[in-house]
Amino acid sequence: MKFFLKIFIFVLPLSRAYAEGQKSAGLPQMDISTFPSQLFWLIITFTALYLFMWKFVIPRLSTTIEERKDKISNDINDAENLNSEASKILENYDDKMNSASLESNEIVSSSKATMNEYLDKLKKDNEIKINSMITESEKKIHKQKQQSEQEIKKATIDTIKSIVSKYVESVPSDDEISKKLN
Amino acid sequence: MAADNPIDPIHQFEISKIAEMQIAGIDISFTNSSLFMVFAIAATMTLFILGLSKRSIIPNRMQMLSELSYNFIANMLRDQVGDQGRAYFPFIFSLFMFIFFCNFIGLIPYTFTVTSHLVVTFAFAGLIFLAVTIIGFMKNGLGYLRIFYPSGIPIFLAPLIVPIEIISYLSKPISLSVRLCANMLAGHSILKIFAGFIVMLGFLGFAPLIFLVVLYALETLIAALQAYIFTILTCIYLNDALHPDH
Repeated sequence: MKFFLKIFIFVLPLSRAYAEGQKSAGLPQMDISTFPSQLFWLIITFTALYLFMWKFVIPRLSTTIEERKDKISNDINDAENLNSEASKILENYDDKMNSASLESNEIVSSSKATMNEYLDKLKKDNEIKINSMITESEKKIHKQKQQSEQEIKKATIDTIKSIVSKYVESVPSDDEISKKLN
Repeated sequence: MAADNPIDPIHQFEISKIAEMQIAGIDISFTNSSLFMVFAIAATMTLFILGLSKRSIIPNRMQMLSELSYNFIANMLRDQVGDQGRAYFPFIFSLFMFIFFCNFIGLIPYTFTVTSHLVVTFAFAGLIFLAVTIIGFMKNGLGYLRIFYPSGIPIFLAPLIVPIEIISYLSKPISLSVRLCANMLAGHSILKIFAGFIVMLGFLGFAPLIFLVVLYALETLIAALQAYIFTILTCIYLNDALHPDH
């Protein structure tokens, strides 16, 4: 409805202008005498603008925008590459750290084991030595004991002999005395 | 009659000759209308020449402006028509920039609004209508006539639907041109009328002044909006021509 009203508003003065044969009647929009000039200059200016846009503006703008897009995607690619490289390096570092700690643990445990072994060996050796020393000294003690016992016996017998010889003529033999002593 | 009145709202639309010219008896004088057409394309060219003078990856302000307008129209065309619309991009882009600058230059006091003349808008609309019809028949052959009979409509409704579709198709250039022209005409007339009120009311003129400021903001919006609407409707008609099945 609005649309037809609009057309009516435009057509009414046009028809009136025709009827009266006047140029200036009604809206300037309806002055048919200006139409060729307007159309002519519209064609010229718009064609100029179209050619300018088509040949000058659009190729340059589209290449600039494309270049920017390429640059941005390249930069993003580079950043992604660097990022993956960095994460690779980090992984490498972690791996190395892990292996190093494993190695050091191994070294610590192996050195502990060798130390223990050494200590055990030392202990055993010392024990053996001590034991042999103990048995030797025991033997020595035993020997000395026996020797001193015999010496004591002999001395006793000698003493007894000398005592007895003072009181009795017939001195008993050593065997007899030792039998009596035991 | 009204030309003597200094606050005649229609006076601003009058065409006055600057240089007389004739070709084969037809008057093609260089008028104020022609002058402002030249201004509009000069403004467009200035914008793009400045914007493209120092092209860089990181744009400066003017380059940003020209790229924004480029992307705005390119996205509009891609959304409405798709990749097939690429061939028509220079025309759509020029059309938008031309109407946009004509509308905006017309907002400056004492200027002339090229798009307030029906013959200019109808020339665009008629050109678009003819081009769209030719493209439609070239791309689809006689299958283009399907747009007058949308699929899914029962056959007995055809005598009703087909004439309506034909009328709506034929009225497209009229509605397209009248919409832009009437908006410019009405808006600028009202601005002029209220500007006249300010002068007439003297001291009390501040009331229409406030209204005029608000109205001017609205007209600025309309100037951009009408350029957008004209362009997007062109895209829609173009899409209808390229894909008549929708």
